[in-house]
Order: sequence, then C-alpha cells, then structure tokens
Amino acid sequence: MSADTTFKYSATAGIQHEEPLLFEHAHEAPSSISLPGVDGEISDALNHFARKDAAGIPGLSEPEAVRHFVRMSQWNHGIETGFYPLGSCTMKYNPRVNEQVVRLPGLAHIHPDQPEATAQGVLALLYELQGWLGEIAGLPYVTLQPAAGAHGELAGLMMIRAALDARGDTHRRKVLVPDSAHGTNPASAALCGMHTVELKSGADGRIDLDELKAHLDADTAALMMTNPNTAGAFESDIKEICRLVHEAGALVYGDGANLNALVGVARPGDMGIDCLHINVHKTFSTPHGGGGPGGGPVAVNETLAPFLPVPRIEKQGDTYVLLQHADTSVGPVLGSVGQIGVLLRAHAYISAFGRQHLHSIAEDAVLNANYVLRRLQGRYHVPFPGLCKHECLLTDEVQERHGVKTLDIAKRLIDLGFHPMTVYFPLIVHGAMLIEPTETESRETLDAFCDAMLDIADVCEAGDTDILHEAPVKPFRRRLDETQAARKPVLVWPA
Amino acid sequence: MRFLPHTDSDRRAMLDTIGVSGIGDLFADIPSEFHIEKGSLAIADALPEAGIVRKFTRAAEQNRNATNTRYFLGGGTYHHFVPAVVDYVISRGEFLTAYTPYQPEISQGTLQALFEFQTMIARLTGMDVSNASMYEAATATAEAALMARRVTRKSRVVMAGSVNPRYRAVTANYLSRLDGEYTQVDMGAFGTDLDRVIAAIDAQTACVIVQYPDFYGSVYDLAELRAACDAAKCLMVVAFSDISAFALIESPGAMGADIAVGSGQSLGIPMGFGGPHLGLFTCKQKYVRQLPGRVCGMTTDVNGKRGFVLTLSTREQHIRREKATSNICSNQGLMCTAAATYMTLMGDAGLATVARHSAAALHSLVSRLPAHVTAATGARYNETVLSFVDHAARQRFLAAASADDIFAGIPLEQIEAGVEARHLLVATTEMVEESDISDYLAALEVSL
Repeated sequence: MSADTTFKYSATAGIQHEEPLLFEHAHEAPSSISLPGVDGEISDALNHFARKDAAGIPGLSEPEAVRHFVRMSQWNHGIETGFYPLGSCTMKYNPRVNEQVVRLPGLAHIHPDQPEATAQGVLALLYELQGWLGEIAGLPYVTLQPAAGAHGELAGLMMIRAALDARGDTHRRKVLVPDSAHGTNPASAALCGMHTVELKSGADGRIDLDELKAHLDADTAALMMTNPNTAGAFESDIKEICRLVHEAGALVYGDGANLNALVGVARPGDMGIDCLHINVHKTFSTPHGGGGPGGGPVAVNETLAPFLPVPRIEKQGDTYVLLQHADTSVGPVLGSVGQIGVLLRAHAYISAFGRQHLHSIAEDAVLNANYVLRRLQGRYHVPFPGLCKHECLLTDEVQERHGVKTLDIAKRLIDLGFHPMTVYFPLIVHGAMLIEPTETESRETLDAFCDAMLDIADVCEAGDTDILHEAPVKPFRRRLDETQAARKPVLVWPA
Repeated sequence: MRFLPHTDSDRRAMLDTIGVSGIGDLFADIPSEFHIEKGSLAIADALPEAGIVRKFTRAAEQNRNATNTRYFLGGGTYHHFVPAVVDYVISRGEFLTAYTPYQPEISQGTLQALFEFQTMIARLTGMDVSNASMYEAATATAEAALMARRVTRKSRVVMAGSVNPRYRAVTANYLSRLDGEYTQVDMGAFGTDLDRVIAAIDAQTACVIVQYPDFYGSVYDLAELRAACDAAKCLMVVAFSDISAFALIESPGAMGADIAVGSGQSLGIPMGFGGPHLGLFTCKQKYVRQLPGRVCGMTTDVNGKRGFVLTLSTREQHIRREKATSNICSNQGLMCTAAATYMTLMGDAGLATVARHSAAALHSLVSRLPAHVTAATGARYNETVLSFVDHAARQRFLAAASADDIFAGIPLEQIEAGVEARHLLVATTEMVEESDISDYLAALEVSL
C-alpha cells in the first residue's frame, strides 16, 4: 500500500460512543413531553376495556433521546458519508432540496380522504409525474400505487394475467425468469398464482435465444427480464426476444431496477417491453432510509392499460380526480394512492435534470461503471468481458487462489472507508462482486475506490492476507455471527 | 448539472482510460433504432433549485392542510402530533441515505433502531415478536392472511365486514389469484357482530380477520372469537388502524391474537396524503419462521460484543425465490426509525396521554350532539360514525364546517362503497382542542 493513505482512504477509528439499548438506560422515565388536546373524561363504555398493565415503553427526556439516536446514527454508513457502490441498488446522492419541499405543510400534513378540491396541488404534481414516467419508459399508462419494486412486479404480473384472461388465455400461468434475475421475480410470480421456469443464461451472461425458444409455449404468460441484466450487460437481442415472446402469445415484463443505464437514452417500451416497474428509490434518487420507504410505479402499453390498479389519478378538464373504480382494473394493491412523499421526491429529481439533461444521468452512470471496470480488469476476473452499462461484474477467481474470497474483499473495503459492492449476486457466477458507481460520484472518489481494490489485489498476491481475513477492524462492530442470530432468534428485548 | 461532479475534461480523461472516443461508444450495444434524440422527451425543462422550491410551494398552497385548520378525518390515517425531534432524527443522512443493512458492521445504527422498534411494537401490541415493518396496513393484512394459510396449511380466509374496506379490498385482491375460499361476513350496524363472524368459521378456515378497534371505531371483547378459533384450529388475526389506542385499551395480544397487523402512522409520521406510512406485523413467537419481511435479530461479533443483524433470511426471496414467505424486499425502514424515536420521546406516560386525549375529544363531541345527528352506539376509541337524516343535511353541515376551516369527517361512502350517502366517519386525536369541538357543534347547529 502507498505510504501515506491518511487522506486517500477516509476510514479512521474516530470517536465512537457505545450507546445502550433504550431499555437499558438506568433511570425511570421522565414524563417530559407536553401534549395538546382535550384533557377530559373518556366514556364508561371505553373505560371497561382499559389496559391493565402499561406497555413498558421506557421513554427518555428530549436531550437524552436526541443523543441516543444521534450516537446510533454515527454507526451507520450512508451515501452522505461515503461511496456506496452496491450493484443493482443505484445508491446516488439524495438532494437536500427534495427533503425540504416534501416537508411543506401543504404536502406533508394533508389527508388522503380530504375533498379532492382541497388537494389539487398535490394531485397536479402526481399527475405530471405519471406522464413523465410514461414518457421515460416509452409506456404511456402509469400507476403510482405500488410501494416498492417487488410490489410493482406483483401489480405488473396481475395486469398481464388479467389481459391474458380477458382474451381467454386462462391457462397461461408459466413465467420465464432468467437465472440471473432478482429473487423477487419468482417470488412475485408465485404470489400472483403463477409458476416460474428458470432460463439458463448463455455463455455471455445474456438470455440464450435457443433456451428461450425451447421454453416458450402455449402455457407461457410472460418473460420477466431485466435490461440491462444483473451482470451489467445490455440484452442486445432485445428486439428478437420480444418478438419471440409476443409470437408465442405471451407478454414481456421489464424489471426496471436497472433503468439508470437507459434513462433519457433509450426506452424499454420502444424495444417491445409491455410493462415496466420503475424503482424511484433507485433511478430517481429517493433516499433508501435504511431499507425503505421505496416506490415502484408501473408503466404499461395500451394492451395492459385497461387493467391498471385503482385508484388512478386522472385529469377531467382543469380538475384532477381520483378514479376509484374501473371495471377491468386488477383492483387496489395498496390502501392508498401510493407512497406520495417518495413520489414527490422523484418528481423533484426529474425536475432538476429536465428535458435537456435527463440523458446525462445514464451517460455519467455508464461512464463511471466502465471506468471502474477498465481500471480493475486484469487484476480481477471479469466473467463477461466487453462494455458494461451502469454496473460492472467481477468475481474473486484470481484472489481465491490466495485463499481470499469475495466476502474478505468486501470487508476489507470497509476498513478503507467504502461501503462494499453487492456480493454473491447475481448467482450465475461464483463469488460475484457487482459494482454500481452511479452518476453522482466524482472521478476522485472512483479513483480512490479503484486504488483500494488494486491495493487489496496487491495484498493477495503478496500473500499477506491476514488483514483481509480479519477485516473489518475499524468499525464499531466487527464481523457478526449471523448463524447464531438465525439459530435462536432474539427479536425483542430482553433476550 | 449540479448533482453531477464531472467536468468535461474529467469525462474526456475517463473515456481515454476506457479506450473509446466518445460517450456514444458506451451505448453501442443498444441497437441504434432504439436510441432517442437527446432532449426529445416530453418532460418539463430543467428547473434550478429555486424553481423547484417555487413550484412545490405553489402546489402545496393549493392544498388545504392540517397545520392551520381543524381535522376530524381518520379512516386509517390520523393527524397526531409529530415532535420536531422525530423529523430531525430521520433527516440525518446516516439514517436517511443508508441502504438496507446488508453489511451489519457499518449499519448498527439502523439495526439497533430496528431492534428497539420491534421491541416497543411488540410491547404496545402485547405480542411476542414484531418484524421490521411492512409497506402499510392493507398489504400487512393481506400478508397476515397468507401467513395464516402457511401456518395452518388450510386455505379459507374469513374476513369481518367491519375491517377497513381498503384492507379488505387489498387482501381479497391478493388472495383472488390463489387457491382457497375468501368469505366476507357482512355486518349490520356500524360495529362488529362476533356471532356472525364465529358462525362463518369452519374446519377449512385458516384464519379469521377482525379489526380492533374496528373501522367504525368500535371496541369490543374478543374472548368468544378466541375460543371459537381454538375450537376450529384457525388463527385469530387482529388488524388495527390507530395503534395509539393500545396505550389506553387492552392490546390485541391481551385479547388473544395470533397475528396482529396494522398501521404505525400514528407514531410520529405525518399523514402525507396517504404515504409513506408504516405497516406493522406482529405475531406469537411460535410462528416466527413464517413471518414475511425483514427481521432484525441480536447476536455478537467476533470480539463478543453485542450487535444486530438482519436474520431468518432463509425465509426470503433472495434465497428461497418462488418458495419465499413473501416477495417483499423493501420495508419502511426510515419510518421504523421515526416510530422508535417517537415512542422514545413519549414513553408510556406520553402515549397514554395521546390516547386519553384522543378518546376524550370524541367523548366530548358525541355527548353533546344535537338531536338531528346520531352517533353509533357502544364503546368507541377515537372514531365513530355520525348519521344525518339525509344526504342534503350532511352536505349542508360539511359546507358549514368547511367554511369555518373544519374538515368534519369522511363521507362514509367514499371508502365503503354502497352505504347510504348520509353518514360521516369522524375521528379525533390530541390535536383537537375543546374550542374545535365547540365550533364543530356550532356548525351542526347552523346547518340544521
């Protein structure tokens, strides 16, 4: 490793505070909170059901509570802390202005059932977003309702099933899913009462046309595909793939998790895809929040439009309305119109780029991924050589000869100040490392990350691998025992 | 473009490193017929930051909001007080901009918050365990039905008609593509008739789903249903809309629920026109391996120090694929942190005050109603149904109330299709003051 890495790699031990569980704070809870309202009687009828024992929520004073959570926050790595190249997750900067505008009282403190006439502003923004997403996807009819990507998959498959049923193809229940697909694809199909058949990827990691043809038949409802796929490669046969699927009487579902590679550059709908979910928490920069909330709007073509979920936002004259019922609709998939606050942030992200600059999202994302790939190839095994799109796939094949695995490389990156890449996915290669840099990372950051990866490769070749096997040593906690956690689950305190 | 760090010379140098002459070469694998012209999409022109603020502010001003009016709207979404600290904590970039905690060593903040959340939700609902959240209450109810089918290996689902119509609709929709019967038990009045529900149970029944307090705010004893479920070896699933109730009245766990699901929106999360909210999912310990969604568990690191990880992942789709307990991947992580912060600030005492004030406001309102309006009878927490003599009378009242900045209730038929258009679903929280109730009653008088 180079002599002075003080500034290059950002991780240090720093000041790290231990912080007990809320339940372990020693003193009795103060009742410091002041609350408004009616301090009056409750009815005797209700009193009959009074809770006998308090729930046992400890409570802290406000200054203690702030310190409790701020200390805990400092054990986290976020996109604001540092590079976060998780493949298939599209971890990009989350603009602060988006956080500001969704907190405006007229957007945050409004009820979903207040009269539509008193909510025209929010409906206008959502309606505009629907149109933009349809335009970006090349699929003009959009539902904003699904709460996440997997939820969008379910809604999309419901529409596909309904469209097939409507034309009498009630036997079509088979969904073809490449072996490189996200695990949610088969799980969503199962939830939609369909079964999946796995397509083995070709030698280049792409869909094998012969394999596809061999499985397409009169029972096939759909092909679920991700393009670019989870190996970071564009399915260049997309036109032929869609033609074959349509010829067989089935439809093409697009998993939009990787839309960041295409936004403003090319449109899934133009390629023949019938239905696409869009992860707004990926492509359109809504914060991941430690696991959610997300948003999974679905864009469809004319074939599927009659089956869109309700409620739908429509414009009648100058007025925006919520259409609550449509005879052919697959029905509601959520108890509300959608994850509104998430969707509004996506609106703000698209607004910032606008018509003129939208394509630069995909251009810089793809540029960054290819730059990382180019700098690391030769030292790391690249299973499918060639151009990548917004993410690049490596494996641990070279390092494994020195007894170092993907997991060790990932954990060493933590000690060097980076969040690891996605590991062991996709499943089609051994020891996968999927790296997605996104458009909001600077060349300086990419270089520091690549240097760290090359340093790790050097360490492997020098045979001095203890530092890798023991990693991470710098963070608040070291490698955690996941087997113990799963064998005897402790999900609540006290153990 | 302000979110893109590269200069043109950066891009040039990077293209040189890659060994291509232009950015277009990186897209050569996309057939040329699918390339679209830059700037050709029908999307608004780019806005500077100030332009975005102006546009959103103007849109927000077209909506009437709860900060300067009086809200009596519920039906699954409630205007409770949100302390400033909650929004501060979830605005911290370390919580806001982290991914799902797949790398636990650098995610202990999110994970410990989830563990505290799970513990407090389990305590408040009186259940053994909680997962790390679902999208919202309707999908949580659907997932509860699916889980009950897995646990019992039976397929029939019985749904009380007094469950929120939206939870019912989503659950029925989820089940409609799977084998098995779905039975909805219609209710007579605005409450829950357990005799009818119990009569619908048979040997094939996997679970019975009731809401407590129900959609109309009614609070009732579940002991007979518990006994009937035991006799039929089916699960009792209890849904809820406003979890604040359980600081005041007996919890679903104390009532014997096997699975309790609902909304945690009341725990420090603004109404937000319907989302993002917080779905809650709790159950008895013995069913833990059939839980859907993410779960956080306690463990130790290699130095023996306590830490937390996502666990029981063999249930999940990235391992089990089509055999997973659910297709759910994202949860509502940030909303869990919000709820944990809220409960920490409140403690038992604060939560009890919220619940007592919410219930007291309803009691104050209902006990002073004029003769031409009737309220549903029986024990109610913070929600009830007011009935007017006819549609016109209700509309006159809504107009009078609106003129005094009062959102007086949700026309029931707006959520529950088919009911007569003369009822209002009315909810109260601690944000309702005594003077708001007086003004509400005054509007009733003038609209006679």
